[in-house]
Amino acid sequence: MITESLYQEYLTLLLEGNRRECARIVQQLLDRDIEIKTLYADLFQKSLYEVGRLWEFNKISVAKEHLVTAISEGLLNLVYPRLFDKTVSDAGNDRKVVISCAANEFHQVGGKMVADIFELNGWDSQFIGANTPVDHMLTHIQDEKPDLVGLSVSVYFNMPALKAGLAAIRGNFQHLDILVGGQAFNWGGTEISRQYSGTTYVPSLDRLTSLIAE
Amino acid sequence: MKDELLTQAQKLEPPGETAIREFAHKWENIAATGTRLLMGRPDLAKLVGKGNEQMAEDNNRNFPRFMLSLFSDYQPAVFVETVLWVFRAYRSHGFQTTYWAANLNIWVDLLRKELSEDAWQQIDPFYNWLIVNIPIFTAITDTDLPGFVSNNPDHLHGTGTQK
Repeated sequence: MITESLYQEYLTLLLEGNRRECARIVQQLLDRDIEIKTLYADLFQKSLYEVGRLWEFNKISVAKEHLVTAISEGLLNLVYPRLFDKTVSDAGNDRKVVISCAANEFHQVGGKMVADIFELNGWDSQFIGANTPVDHMLTHIQDEKPDLVGLSVSVYFNMPALKAGLAAIRGNFQHLDILVGGQAFNWGGTEISRQYSGTTYVPSLDRLTSLIAE
Repeated sequence: MKDELLTQAQKLEPPGETAIREFAHKWENIAATGTRLLMGRPDLAKLVGKGNEQMAEDNNRNFPRFMLSLFSDYQPAVFVETVLWVFRAYRSHGFQTTYWAANLNIWVDLLRKELSEDAWQQIDPFYNWLIVNIPIFTAITDTDLPGFVSNNPDHLHGTGTQK
């Protein structure tokens, strides 16, 4: 559980660019055995959305927004000892997922979080990064033969790139399940799952967790 | 007001595949020409705010990409919400509401010139919707910007007037 006062303290430190103190807060939460999904949704995701809103209202610069993103991405690394904890890895389920961002999509924190949630649930999870060209993604899928592919898109104008990716995956791997998600769907476009067979739209980390459990 | 925008937006007919393909094929050149015209305006700093020229250039590149996404799978709510977000964010950063009137007119002139008549007829209603609703976007985002120094030309008196 992350209290409002702790969240506000973290947000203030984050906006000051105080990586060390942000790391201290995250480490304390991890030491208290916080659920990783809660940490991601209620601290990282919530603060990143707030920072986006602050940019929107011209309260912070693009440089500050980028700094916050870089710090947040770095803080994800603190979680890794938990991800690869022996008890978790023993519960491995021999399933593999490849997570990617749409071509031309440079926002990758969400995709990284999704990859971590899979890893936490015993999957072999491969995050292949932002702005991955479709042909390289297809080659990687061919080589790795995952059970599932996840595609993230943050900006609505990258929807055509997402659809090109979906069409290419479906054309080459007819029975491969696909998940899509990201902020680009905030105001619509979720019908995409009806346009591409075997594709599921995932609105949140909560929903992702329950899907993995099904 | 937002409900009215949504009702109007729901009446727009998405362009057909041929028109979308033509737009997809031509938007980059049109955007480059449009950006040159916009950047060449003597009143640019007044329209976009001092130091925001790069932001205006980025906006002019992202705008047609957004329109292409929109045409490809038309979602009226996405259209309305995104335009309001753009007005909120860019006005917060110092863009004047006259920027959209000026820039949309550049876009309309270029699209009319570069697109086939058939494609233009299908795409024009979307740009027309944007132009005629500038006062509505302005009014809605006025209320979204508390303590905002209005940059609506109707309220400008030298340095702007606190609302």
